[in-house]
Amino acid sequence: MYTQSQADVPTTSAAGGPDGRLTAVAAEDLVKVYGSGDTAVRALDGVTVGFARAQFTAIMGPSGSGKSTLMHCLAGLDTATSGRALLGGTDLTVQPDRVLTKVRRERIGFVFQSFNLLPQLTAEQNITLPLDLAGRTPERGLLAHLTEVLGLAGRLKHRPSELSGGQQQRVALARALVARPEVVFADEPTGNLDSRSGAEVLSFLRNSVRDLGQTVVMVTHDPGAAAYADRVVLLADGRIAGEIDRPDRASVAEALQSLGNHR
Amino acid sequence: MKVLGTQLAGVAKRPARMLLTGLAVLVASFVVYATVLAQQITERTALDGLSGTPAAVDLVIGSGDEFGNSVQLSTGDVAKFRGLPGVAEVAARVEASGEVNGDYLNIVSDPGTGPLASVTVKQGAYPSAPGEIAVTPRTADRMGLPVGTVATVNTEWDDKGKPIKPVKLKVTGLVEGDSDYGFSAYAPQASVSPLLGKDADYVQRVDLRLEPGADAAAVQSAAERIIAAAPAPKEGFARAQVRTGDDVRRAEAEEAASEVNEVFIAVGVFVAVAVCAAGLVATSTFRIVFAQRMRQLALLRAVGAGRGALWRALAAEGALTGLVAGVVGVLGALALGYAVPPIAGAFDVDLASPGLPVLPAVGVVLLAVAITVLAVLAPAFSAAKVAPLEALRSASVTSGRKSIGKLRGAFGLVLAGGAGLLAAYVSMNLPTRDARNYDPEPMLLAVVGSGALAFFALMALGPLLVRPVLATVGWPLRRLGPIGRLAVGGVGGAPRRAAAVSVVVALGVTLIAGVVVTGASVRVLADREMASSVPADYELTANGDEQVPSALVEQAKASADLTHVTPYRRLPEVQVGGGSDTKLTATDLVMSGLPALDKIDVNGGSLAAVGPGKVALAAIATEISGLKVGDITTLTAGKKKVKVEVVATLPDSAPLQSGIVVDPADLTKLGAPATFSGMLADAAKGGEDGRTAGQKAMRQLTQGHAGLGVDVLADQRDQFNTVLNGVLAVVIGLVGLTVLIAVVGVGTTTALSVVERVRESGLLRAVGLSRGSLRMMLTAESSLYGVIGATIGVVLGVPYAWLALKALGVNAPLELPVGQLVVVFLVLVLFTAAAGVLPARRAAKVSPVAALATD
Repeated sequence: MYTQSQADVPTTSAAGGPDGRLTAVAAEDLVKVYGSGDTAVRALDGVTVGFARAQFTAIMGPSGSGKSTLMHCLAGLDTATSGRALLGGTDLTVQPDRVLTKVRRERIGFVFQSFNLLPQLTAEQNITLPLDLAGRTPERGLLAHLTEVLGLAGRLKHRPSELSGGQQQRVALARALVARPEVVFADEPTGNLDSRSGAEVLSFLRNSVRDLGQTVVMVTHDPGAAAYADRVVLLADGRIAGEIDRPDRASVAEALQSLGNHR
Repeated sequence: MKVLGTQLAGVAKRPARMLLTGLAVLVASFVVYATVLAQQITERTALDGLSGTPAAVDLVIGSGDEFGNSVQLSTGDVAKFRGLPGVAEVAARVEASGEVNGDYLNIVSDPGTGPLASVTVKQGAYPSAPGEIAVTPRTADRMGLPVGTVATVNTEWDDKGKPIKPVKLKVTGLVEGDSDYGFSAYAPQASVSPLLGKDADYVQRVDLRLEPGADAAAVQSAAERIIAAAPAPKEGFARAQVRTGDDVRRAEAEEAASEVNEVFIAVGVFVAVAVCAAGLVATSTFRIVFAQRMRQLALLRAVGAGRGALWRALAAEGALTGLVAGVVGVLGALALGYAVPPIAGAFDVDLASPGLPVLPAVGVVLLAVAITVLAVLAPAFSAAKVAPLEALRSASVTSGRKSIGKLRGAFGLVLAGGAGLLAAYVSMNLPTRDARNYDPEPMLLAVVGSGALAFFALMALGPLLVRPVLATVGWPLRRLGPIGRLAVGGVGGAPRRAAAVSVVVALGVTLIAGVVVTGASVRVLADREMASSVPADYELTANGDEQVPSALVEQAKASADLTHVTPYRRLPEVQVGGGSDTKLTATDLVMSGLPALDKIDVNGGSLAAVGPGKVALAAIATEISGLKVGDITTLTAGKKKVKVEVVATLPDSAPLQSGIVVDPADLTKLGAPATFSGMLADAAKGGEDGRTAGQKAMRQLTQGHAGLGVDVLADQRDQFNTVLNGVLAVVIGLVGLTVLIAVVGVGTTTALSVVERVRESGLLRAVGLSRGSLRMMLTAESSLYGVIGATIGVVLGVPYAWLALKALGVNAPLELPVGQLVVVFLVLVLFTAAAGVLPARRAAKVSPVAALATD
C-alpha cells in the first residue's frame, strides 16, 4: 500500500505556489490505479502538487511516469482512485459527470497533441465551440485579439483540412483560450509540429500567461518546450520527483537525465 | 493465402462486428425465407381447409371439372347409386335460387348431419320437413331471417317478370359452412328439389360414402355403367363423371392454392426490391468497415501483401459474412415460422406448420452469399488499392473522399438525362381525357424505366445532392443550437456515406409515397364513380311498369332511420338535338338532394346549375350531339319538345346510369308521369346499426307492394372501400420491407460511424458536451439520414406516382395526400432516429480520455 511520507515530496504544497501566489489547480495525495489484482498499475502514486495562478508550468517525466494521467485527473477528464483534484475550491474527484462537463466547458481549456479539431466545422466555429455548447456568445474583443495574435484572421472560414498543422494548433489554442478558462491544459502541444510552428505555439502560451494572466499547465517530454515555462514539475513512476524554477533547456535536460539514471 | 487466413481469423474473432456488417443481408434473408414459409403455411392451410367436399366423401359423381358444363343426374339414377353394393351413404346435391324481398337467396341441399354434411348447425335445428330451411349467420343478419321467421321465397317468374307461386319457407336453424357470402340457405335434398319446378327430378352432383373395406374401383365402374346407361344429356349439359373424393378435394384445394401462389408471386416482386436494398446497404457498410481498417490493410501492403491477395481476402470476408448472415436469417425465420401456428392456435386460428423446405433454405443462404459478395466487390477493390504509406500516417479520422469521380459524375448525368427524357416522352404522350384505344402498358413500363434510371442516377450523384438537401432540411435543426449544427455538420462531413444510406431510405420512401399518392387518387376516382353509380345508401326500385307511390316517399321522409330521401323520375327515349336518333334516358334527380352527388366529376360547367331549362349531359349525350357547355338545344320525347341550355357535361354516365339530367318541370313537359320511378335515401345514423335500421325501414316501405324492391347500394361502396384499404395495407406492408432494410442500414451506418468517430466524441466531451447532448447529437445524425432519404423519396415518389396515374389513362385526379405523406415522413424520421439510439448510447458511455487515446 501507499506508504510514502510527506517529507519525501519536494517543496510543493496544495496551499500555494512556491512564491506565494494563489493556486489555480492542485492535486492532493492523488492516486490512480488502472486494472486490479496482479495486473494493477499505479499510474499516480500519491501526488501532491499545486499550480499557481498566472503561471506557466510544465509537467515532465519519462514515458509512463503518469504525467498525462495527472493532467487528465486535474482536468476532470478522468476519475481518481483516491485523493483530491482541486480546481479553485472544487474537488473534481467527487463531482458527477454533469458537473464535470460544465467545469470542462466553462473553467478549463484544452490543447492536444493531435489538434483534435472537428473536421466539419470552420476554424471560427471550432474556436467558439465551447462557448456555443455553453450557450454563451464570444467576447468580440477577446476573439479579435486571439485571431490577431495567432495570425488566423484570414483563415477563420477555412476548414481544418485546409489548414497546416501549425495553423490547426493555433486554432486549437484560440479555442482553449476564448472562454477565459481558469486553467489551460496542454498535452504535448508541439508533438506533431515542426520546430518553427512549435516555437510559435510555445511563445503564444507564454505570452498569454504574461499578457492575459492565463494559467497554463503543459505536459511535455521536450526539454526545449519545457524551457518556455516558469516552472517545471518532474514526475517519475507516478510520484513527484523534483521541480525546477525558471528552467532552461540545459537544466531540464540534466534533471531528466538524472531522473533516468536514478531509475 | 496467408493474407486470406489473417483476414478471416481477424473477422472470426469479432462475430458481433460481422453480424452488424451483414445485418441488412441477415434481415433480407429472414424476410425471404419467412416469405417462403408464409407461402408454405398458407398453401398447406388452404389444402387442409378450403375444400368444400367433406372428408368422408369417397366418390363424387358430377361435372368433370369446375368450369365445364353442369350435369343432370336423375333421381332414379341416384337411387341406383344408393343401391350399389359397398355404398354406405349417398348425398345428392342440388342448388335452387330464389328471391326474398327482392334479395337473391341461394338454397343448397345438404344432409345437415352425418359424415357427408358440409355444414354444421350452430343454433336451432337442421330442417327435417319440407318447407323448412337453415341459413348462415350472415344471411340471417343481412336478409332479416332469424331463426323462427317464415320467408316468402319467389322461385319462378312469368314472362313479364312477375313472381308466380311464392313458397313459404321457415327458418329452423343457423348453420356454418366452408364459406358465408350472406345469401346462403341449406335444406335436405328432398326439400330443395321441389323448388326447382320442371327440373325437380334432377340433381347436379352425388357424393358417395363407401362401407369400410369396399372396393372403390368396383363401385366407380358400376356407377360409370349406370351413367352410361342413362339417356344422352340435354343441350348444354355434359355427361356426369365419377371421380374419387381425394381427387375432387385436391382439385378444389389446388384452385384455392393457385390463388395463393399468384399472391405470393406479387409478394416476391416486393421482396426482390427489398433484397436489392439490402445489397446496397451491405455495400455501404463494407465501405465503412474497410475504411476503418485502412491502416491495417496498408500495413499488410507495406509488409508485402499483393493487391490481388488483399482483394481476394476482403471478398472472402464478404462471402463469409453473407454465409453467416444468411444462415442466421434462415434460422430466425424458421423459428418464427414454427412459432406462428401455435400462437395463432391460441387465438382459434388454425394454421398448418410450415414444414422444413430445405431447398429454399439452401437457396436463401446462397442468395445471401451472392448478394454479399456482389456488395463487397467494389469496396474490396478500392480498399485493396490503399497505398502502403497510409500505414505510416499519423492517426486521424479516415474522412474519405468527399466528391465523386468525373466518370461517375458523367455516368450519373447520363442516367438522370435518360430518366428525364423517358419521363418527358411519357408526359408529352399522355392520353387525353377521352382517348380511345389507349394502351397504357408501354407507357407504364416507360414510367417504371424512368423511375429506375432516376434511382440509379441518384446512387451515382447522391454525394453531390447531400449538401444542398442538407442545407435545406437541416436548416431548422441548425437553428436549434450547437448540437443541431454539429449533427448537420457530422452528416455533411461524410457525404458519400450519407448518400449511400439515404439513397436506400429514399428507395423505400419513394415506393411508399407512390403507393400513398396512388391510393388517394384511386380513392377519389372511385368516390366520383361511386357518386354516379351509387349516389345513396339505399335505392327503392320498381320492377317493370310499377311506380313508387308518393305516399311511400312521404312515409320514407317521416322515418327517423332515413335521411336525404330523394325520389326521382326516369323518362326513357329522349333525343338530344336533331342530329341523331339515339334515344337516351333522362332523369330529374335533384342534384342537391344527396351529399354524394357533390363528388361527381364534371368535364365542364357545374351540376349545381341544373334547373328549369338547364340540363347536364353525360358523355354519351355530348358525343352523339357534339354539344358543349353553353349551347342551346332541344330535347325531344315523342312529339313533345323542350328547349334547354347545356350547363354541365360529364366525363362518364350521369347518376342512375342516365344520359341527361333535367329539371322536374322540364321532364313533366316531356311527358313523364307524375309518379316516381324510384327513390334514393341515406341511413340517418352512421355505423352498422344505423345501416341495419335504415335497411329495415326501407324493407317496411315495400311490404305489401309486390313490384318494389330495395337495393342496399351502401354495401357495394363498403365492399369497394374494404378491398381498397386491404390492398393498400398489404402493399404498404410489402413496401415496408424495403424501409425496414433501409432503417437497418441507417442503424448500421450510425453504429460504424460512431466507432470511427470515437475520437471526435471524446473531444466534444472534453470541451464540455454533456453525455446527454452527445447522445442527442448522434441520434439527430441518424435521423438526418432519414430526413434526407425521406425528402428525396417524397420529391421523387409523388411526381412519379402522378405520372404513372396519368399514363394509366383512367382520368384519375392527381391527389396530394399531405397528411399521409407527413405521417410517412415523420414515421421514417422516427424510425431512423430510433436506429441511432443504441449506437449513440454506446458512444456516450465511452470516457473522454479513452476516446482521445484511441487512434
